[in-house]
Amino acid sequence: MKKKSFFSRFYVVLCLAFFYLPILVTMIFSFNSSKSLTRMTGVSLRWYSELINNVEVARAVYVSLSIAILATVISTVLGTITAIGLSSHRKIVKDIVLNVNNIPILNPEIVTAIGLMLLFSSAGFRKGYLTMLLAHIAFCTPYVITSVYPKVRSLDPNLANAAMDLGATPFEALTKVIVPMIKEGVFAGALLAFTMSFDDFVISYFVTGNGVKNISIVVYNMTKRINPTINALSTIVIVVIIVVLVSVNVFLPKLEKRTDHIHPRVRRGVTIFLVAALCLGLIRCGSISSQNHVLKVYNAGEYIDLSLLDKFQEEYNCTVVYETFESNEMMYTKLASGESYDVLIPSDYMIERLIKEDYLQPLDWDLIPNASGLMEEVMDKSYDPGNKYSCPYFWGSVGILYDRNIVDQADLSEGWELLKDPKYKGDLYMYDSERDSFMIALKALGYSMNTVNEDEIREAYEWLVEQRDTMDPIYAGDDIMDNMISGNKAIAVVYSGDASYTISENPDMDYFTPNQGTNIWYDAMVMTRDCSETDLAHAFINFMIDPESAIANTEEIGYTSTVKSAYDAMLDGTYAEISSYLVDDSDPRNEIFGYQDPKIKQKYAELWTKVKAQ
Amino acid sequence: MKHYKKMIQPYVVWAALLIVIPLILIALYAFTEEGNEVLTLSFTWKNFAKFLESTYVNVVVKSFWLGIITTFLCLLLGYPLAFIISRFPEKTQATLILLVTIPEWINMLLRTYAWMNILADNGIINQLLDLLGMRPVNMMYTDFSVILGLVCNFMPFMIIPIHTSLSKMDKSLIEAAYDLGATPFQTFRKVIWKLSIPGVLNGIMMVFLLSVSTFVIPKLLGGGQYMLIGNLIESQFISVGDWNFGSAISLILAVIILIFMSLMKRMDKQEE
Repeated sequence: MKKKSFFSRFYVVLCLAFFYLPILVTMIFSFNSSKSLTRMTGVSLRWYSELINNVEVARAVYVSLSIAILATVISTVLGTITAIGLSSHRKIVKDIVLNVNNIPILNPEIVTAIGLMLLFSSAGFRKGYLTMLLAHIAFCTPYVITSVYPKVRSLDPNLANAAMDLGATPFEALTKVIVPMIKEGVFAGALLAFTMSFDDFVISYFVTGNGVKNISIVVYNMTKRINPTINALSTIVIVVIIVVLVSVNVFLPKLEKRTDHIHPRVRRGVTIFLVAALCLGLIRCGSISSQNHVLKVYNAGEYIDLSLLDKFQEEYNCTVVYETFESNEMMYTKLASGESYDVLIPSDYMIERLIKEDYLQPLDWDLIPNASGLMEEVMDKSYDPGNKYSCPYFWGSVGILYDRNIVDQADLSEGWELLKDPKYKGDLYMYDSERDSFMIALKALGYSMNTVNEDEIREAYEWLVEQRDTMDPIYAGDDIMDNMISGNKAIAVVYSGDASYTISENPDMDYFTPNQGTNIWYDAMVMTRDCSETDLAHAFINFMIDPESAIANTEEIGYTSTVKSAYDAMLDGTYAEISSYLVDDSDPRNEIFGYQDPKIKQKYAELWTKVKAQ
Repeated sequence: MKHYKKMIQPYVVWAALLIVIPLILIALYAFTEEGNEVLTLSFTWKNFAKFLESTYVNVVVKSFWLGIITTFLCLLLGYPLAFIISRFPEKTQATLILLVTIPEWINMLLRTYAWMNILADNGIINQLLDLLGMRPVNMMYTDFSVILGLVCNFMPFMIIPIHTSLSKMDKSLIEAAYDLGATPFQTFRKVIWKLSIPGVLNGIMMVFLLSVSTFVIPKLLGGGQYMLIGNLIESQFISVGDWNFGSAISLILAVIILIFMSLMKRMDKQEE
């Protein structure tokens, strides 16, 4: 055809620029010397050296890549033969198979994920590498069929017969005639399958277990606090992809020419050998060596100084399988689906629920000698009277983080009503959590945050609706912290520990707890009912509240320690200037969240959905 | 092709185990109530009745509206790109299609986070505007940011199937059309567009399905007030713990989409 116009080329470049802009930003900021993702403060390789030392990321890369390759190969073969076989069936069979095949494509990922999770749990599968692989094949194959089937349909139905009339066996007709004619469709399907598998998060998260994680799961847990090491990782991924592509395009044609004279059977042998080697390697890597004791710990994301885990493993000659969750509710869902752990670190109200539903076993405090160093203020709370089941880990309050340059100091006396002050319209973040938001409204109205009184709940709902209508707040998640570090808005509702971290990164910010009272919360270590390594679990709990570990932990995370010596050390040292580190639990209007009856919980959740979706 | 009839057997078994059974489990939840115990079943329509409240209907309307806009924009921007790519030499085509696909291999969450930093109030674009002495523009947590994120993420799923049908098109057909005196516009409308319809329908289907049920991108780029059907289902399973209602919503979504699909299929047949 005629020359490509300047406009066509320009359009291609423009579209590619659009696709690559976010990646380019990621790559550039992976060389930033500070954590900021909006301002370059200097060039450094800091994040690359951190990445190299990160074993978790290395394993995740391996899992993602090997699962993506295996799932692509298997689903491409399965999908292609199915598409070919399907074309000669009666219409009714075709319709049924294709409609069933469309289900994983048209269902929201979360539904597929839950369905598969239910299936694996009820069939008694051990969750991990194999379940993740099965799930990936399950959602990749439909994409292969959808892209291969139209190609098969456009083939002449007599093609295979013609080949066989000329003496080809059915297998030869298939591999030498049909497959080459539909190879674009097969290739497109394989590419799609690889893309889907490599990038998958939701399904992987629900069907995996026992410490097997892919890149997405690691990233998701990292993004609570943007960690530029992950930018470094994606830069490397991009560079590797480009290198592979270039070498495929430049070297493969040459290689093909050189191997042309080799006997096909030899070539086939080599291929089979390579595939077998890959599979063996995968199986070896997929299973965790378990000669020594293994402790499974389940904690919130970015909520521990990871070097402590290495230290513990060395000291006790054991393996810690460490997994993280995004919210207490997510942890509960996984636990309820039959996943087993030894030590959990949930929040107060969730511990109360776990105790009520018999998920936990009592602690033997004689095995935790470091308990003597715990602060009196954090012990014996309503969620677990006498600390029969739980050993406090971190604690804090919920309050308002504000920009001192924008918010008038005098307005702070408004307390929670500051969130309804028209002066700051459009300039605030609410925390996207029904429990915390209703706590604010209830406290602003002078009620208990644990109320079950319908009228009070209704009034709080109206408070929140009015706030939404008059203030235009953004209901955000953990991205609030990065937004506040960048100074995007002036006011945000945050947990005190997140405030400490934000203030240490952006000194313009300050924190206060409103005078109408707030939520005081405790996160604590508990031992599950099925925990068999009870000695090791106690040793772990004891290790985490050892004064030295506690200092390292609180310094790294910014949350307030429950260990007296670490708490005092921080108030004199790193967090001396930061008011949010100090937890003031003296106000009698402050409360702890209590266990919610499922009916009440649903009521709150429903109203919160209505506040947001109106 | 009769010889290959049996080749669908492995997949039939596979699909029954890994697609149908999980769905039955979900349907079981949708029509029952109380807790996560399968043993204490009691049949109910309650979960579906609850869905008829205006809040939830609005959520569905918003999701479909967003899905339609995203699909339309992907088609509008993606079709020309697929068309231009299909006119390059074959080797260049393969490279360009790979270039379109590669961004999808970089974690979607990471790319979305990068968009957040580009669009934020003190983000990269606004810093540039500031340098140029212009007033900052509020882009984050708006329809604009959400649609931008969705289009950037899902456009490759429109481009690839369209390109597949355009590239297998017989080029001499176009020449024939010109020889017979067709204008470029007529050639496009009567030949090229007609022949690319299977790819277009495929692309529309993929993008629409992906964008109507998405929840991570709207949540990050639109904030919590961007409540879509995907978020609603997610929150039922994760934070509310009402698996029954969550299952009911996903069944309803599945049915609506099945209807949509059969409409598309009818269009496909008419074109044939």
